[in-house]
Amino acid sequence: MRRRDLPLDPEVQRGLRELDAALAAEPAADPDLALLVADVRAARPEADPAFLAALDAKVHAGFAAPGAAPRRRAAWLRPGGVLFLGAGGSLAALLVVVIALAGGGGGTGGEHGRGSASVSSSTASALSSESASSPESAAAAPQQAAEDSSASKSAPAPAGGTETVAPQRRVERSVSLALTPPPDEVQDVADGVVRETQAAGGYVASSSVATSDDQGSAHFVLRIPSAHLDDALARLSKLAHVGSLTQASQDITATFTSAAERLADARAERTSLLRALGRATTDRQIATLKARLAENRSEISRRKGDLAAVARRADLATVQVDVQGTGRAGQHTGGGWTPGDALHDAGRVLEVSGGIAVVAGAVLAPLAVLAALALAARGAARRRRRETALDQAI
Amino acid sequence: MELSTTEPTNARFDALYRENASDVFAYAMTLLRDRAAAEDVTAAAFERAYRRQASYDARRGTRRAWLFGIARNAALDELRRRRRSAALLVDPEDASGAGSSGDDGGEAAVRRAAVRAALAGLDPRDRELVALKFHAGLSNAEIARVLGVSESNAGTRVHRAVTRLRKACHAPS
Repeated sequence: MRRRDLPLDPEVQRGLRELDAALAAEPAADPDLALLVADVRAARPEADPAFLAALDAKVHAGFAAPGAAPRRRAAWLRPGGVLFLGAGGSLAALLVVVIALAGGGGGTGGEHGRGSASVSSSTASALSSESASSPESAAAAPQQAAEDSSASKSAPAPAGGTETVAPQRRVERSVSLALTPPPDEVQDVADGVVRETQAAGGYVASSSVATSDDQGSAHFVLRIPSAHLDDALARLSKLAHVGSLTQASQDITATFTSAAERLADARAERTSLLRALGRATTDRQIATLKARLAENRSEISRRKGDLAAVARRADLATVQVDVQGTGRAGQHTGGGWTPGDALHDAGRVLEVSGGIAVVAGAVLAPLAVLAALALAARGAARRRRRETALDQAI
Repeated sequence: MELSTTEPTNARFDALYRENASDVFAYAMTLLRDRAAAEDVTAAAFERAYRRQASYDARRGTRRAWLFGIARNAALDELRRRRRSAALLVDPEDASGAGSSGDDGGEAAVRRAAVRAALAGLDPRDRELVALKFHAGLSNAEIARVLGVSESNAGTRVHRAVTRLRKACHAPS
């Protein structure tokens, strides 16, 4: 450490000049000082030749194995490098966090896919115990219930109609889905909604689409077989950014059972009327029974319609889709992970990384200052201890 | 002293070693006043210098000054570690050598014994300065670099140390 240089006292300057002259053995040197120099030099401790020879060998060996090149301590191992070691560790930890964040939430392309997949799985798990079976079996069920006179009155006559089979639950499902594509993609998304609905075996109950240059919206009411609802929702969710997704389910088993029972009652009445007609002997009795049979046929027909309507509620889920062209351009994912998605993800990663770097800087900067101060204090203390050791020497 | 270097590991370091090995030892010996410790410190200083060659910065002084700075730290570390100063006030070998190097017999021997005694009685810091100036032949700028002080401060210290040494030499025993 260099201190500020002050001009030397003239007397000191003169004394130093004389000393240098004596050390240089100049003829004009002070004789007393020259004598002192000679005497002090004569008292100079000389090293043992054996020691110098050993040291010479060490130097030739490079103070290590023969041929070893001078090694330089890694920068992070130097006292001043401890700070960089700590900073490096912190940055490595931050890098892990960045990667974790990027991997966990950065994927635009797979975002909707994952989102819809999770919705599907949760929906499936939530409804697995109560959802209807295939639409074919569901559609056949009321018919069987109506025709199987031996079926239990309290059960909606599942396939086989045996009392050991638990009553089949009937669940009506309804979904509200909001899609927010860029305004110029509303028409494409609307077409996609129709296409995916038909692919799922459903139909569009009602629709309205309005588009203009800078905005657009569409509304659909879809009827989709409950058995294909989850797949259909997953496909619909890939058409555009999902603004919201709401699902509801209602158990209509009681309604279905009641309708089936009413149909069974009407059929039983018909059987009874037919038997009575067979026993009728007078024309009046016959005419009365025929009139009641005609009414009964109408009632049976009505009851069948009621039962079929309830069955349809369970078999076909109602899906309301609102498409609002408010999404940002470039948000449309279309399902696959495109180069655009990659760019978006890369930007997101950089965004998160930058944020983390700022936070890390805010944390590390004071630590770096403290570390620098600590290192400076450590160096000063070490110098002080060394100087003290010299002062204490005899 | 001539040191043989048949196969230098590093030309520049080898030259530094050859030119300064004896001076570093003399300096360490003056500080520690213990031959074994001085040898250890000399070896440690050159080993440290060898391993830290890359840390030398020519803008901060000569290579010699850098080497003696390392030697000084090693010597002071030795003093700290051992928690004792050198036990020998006068090195027997040096004492025996003094007589043989005299130029005019008894008078020189007496004079040099007085110088040796004066050196032994000096403050360690003054003794260090004498060693750096007389034994190692460092300039005031180099001494300043070794001690970590300004050049004028180093010059003043050297002047005072020599003045005290001269007084001690002329003081009645």
